[in-house]
Amino acid sequence: MSRRFIGFALVLPALATVTLFFVVPLLGAVTGAFQTEAGFGIENFVKTYELYRSDVLFTLLIVATATVVIAALSTAIAGYLTLGSNALAINLLRWLYRWPLFIPFIVVGQILRTFLAKNGMMNNLLLSTDLITPLQTTSFLDWRGIVIAFAWKQTPFVALLLAGAMASLDRGTIEAARNLGASRLRILVEIVLPQVAPTLMVGLTLSFVTMMSVLSVPLMINAQSPTMITADMAFRINAYGDYGVANALGLISLAMTGIVAWFYLRQTMRENAR
Amino acid sequence: MKQLIVGATAVALAAFSLPAQAEELTVITAGDQNMVDYVNDYLGPLFEQQNPGTTVRAVGTGPGDAGSQKILERLEAQKQAGTDKWDFDVAVVHQKAAGDMVKGELLKSYRSDIETGAMVSNANADTALGTDVKGYVMPMFNSQTAIAYNPALVPNPPTNYQDLAAWVKENPKQFGYNGIKGGMSGVAFVVGWVYAFGGDTDVLQKGPYNEEEMDKLSGAFDSLKQFNQNVALTPGNAGTLDMLSRGEIAMGPVWVDMFYSWQANGQLPPDLKLVLPESGMPGQPMYYVIPAKAAHEDLAKKFVALATSPSVQAEGIVKKFNWYPGIDAEKVKAQLDAQTWSKLFTDISPEQLAERGKAFPIKPYFDAILETYERKVAN
Repeated sequence: MSRRFIGFALVLPALATVTLFFVVPLLGAVTGAFQTEAGFGIENFVKTYELYRSDVLFTLLIVATATVVIAALSTAIAGYLTLGSNALAINLLRWLYRWPLFIPFIVVGQILRTFLAKNGMMNNLLLSTDLITPLQTTSFLDWRGIVIAFAWKQTPFVALLLAGAMASLDRGTIEAARNLGASRLRILVEIVLPQVAPTLMVGLTLSFVTMMSVLSVPLMINAQSPTMITADMAFRINAYGDYGVANALGLISLAMTGIVAWFYLRQTMRENAR
Repeated sequence: MKQLIVGATAVALAAFSLPAQAEELTVITAGDQNMVDYVNDYLGPLFEQQNPGTTVRAVGTGPGDAGSQKILERLEAQKQAGTDKWDFDVAVVHQKAAGDMVKGELLKSYRSDIETGAMVSNANADTALGTDVKGYVMPMFNSQTAIAYNPALVPNPPTNYQDLAAWVKENPKQFGYNGIKGGMSGVAFVVGWVYAFGGDTDVLQKGPYNEEEMDKLSGAFDSLKQFNQNVALTPGNAGTLDMLSRGEIAMGPVWVDMFYSWQANGQLPPDLKLVLPESGMPGQPMYYVIPAKAAHEDLAKKFVALATSPSVQAEGIVKKFNWYPGIDAEKVKAQLDAQTWSKLFTDISPEQLAERGKAFPIKPYFDAILETYERKVAN
């Protein structure tokens, strides 16, 4: 009995923190989503559907696109770090690719605001190398800017996880494939990736959830409609003081991440069951 | 040992006999960083000089109605908790939040207690978007929006919304504004559009609210949706100014004070100019308010009296920040040289400002206009 009590007492601070600062506000948001001026009801969701359904779809598409881009880029980086042959290139890549990890999203938003503008640094660079003419310059400050921001910021994180997983693989499988004459790309896709797939899934899930929560990037980069759910939530509170619809949007966002997080949980439980 | 005790006692006594009025005044302000800097760099030191032993500290809550909303929530939270003395003494907020604060009985009525209270006769000191706030607020400044344009690209700028719509059709993507999210300059443009193309501006600004007025505006929103096809959307107030300075757009709505401040800082080309359309564009004051249970009430009143005195309005508000004064312009004019006074009125004359400077609509219409924009124009 006393051992169980000690165990419970040790867990209690962490449990209390999670309950007080996460579960209670979550319950508040969930009930708040159903609170309207006329008591409990679904009016908030009706209004969300009327005004913001294209934004919800937009958010899903943007974050999914960014996730796919992150998967491709991080696999490429981690793959080269594991299978590459040029020691200098490997060291340079290993040093460079982690920098975006330390840059907050809002700083990324600010950087890209001037980099991706119509007369911004990217276009000026391209103009100076005569790759495009002034008339062909376009502003990337729309959904493409958001995808670029997310991919740039989250790729190092997933690449870090993947590189670690790939480094802990048994090199025997890789060597065997090399001996049989497989190209490095084929080794990456057919031998290495299937073995690190669980880690990749976990990294992508965490990235998906992080990207769903970002407010600074859509506010700073994407001027148009449709915009992301987070920007709408902020607008709802600041312009109308309307917590009902903001909570409804939050609940929808929670449902989207919940489905993705289900994969994460399933994976973790599978691993722990072994 | 005895000397040590005597010495320590002496130090302790000295420490406790420091002036009791070592009070700290806390000012919390919505708006951009320039509002916080105004208190920290100018108003605070001036007040501390005139009231030795006091310190002033300023905290910012962020731009736009969002910042004012945070201050409103802070007051509501303290009222609900039933605390005796609230944790800030003066707040600077926008009109919408001020109206809500008065309705929520969160503020102290103080205007009749300070001598500058009698120096303001503008209607916006008595009502804020339709809510009666008389006595609870003192206007800090009056701001105005206008359309900024590049004379090299637009030699004959349109002087009304109808001509602007025609110009934009012929010059797509050369006009930029931020919609209704991200900055009040875009909101002001939309309100100006509504004033120009539909509805009774008097009813919209003064009330009463009835649904039929909103139905009359549906044509205006349809034409705004058409108009938006040919505009470049910007991320906010600063976004519009950035795109103007990079030459990506030739015209866009801006806050007059931001425009002049950016030009003075070299962030905007000096040859850009302003035009105020005939049907008017809105402007808004920000208000000094004192919480109902402020800890340092007398100090707070002194602070607001200083901030709204003619000399500070002239030096701080008009000269430093290019805002129009919050108290009556006549009282401030005497304190300014002719050059500074006329700088504010180069592109927009005082007569034009008096005629075309409008107020934002009352809250029910304001919210309805924003939601209709979301529903009809943005969707």
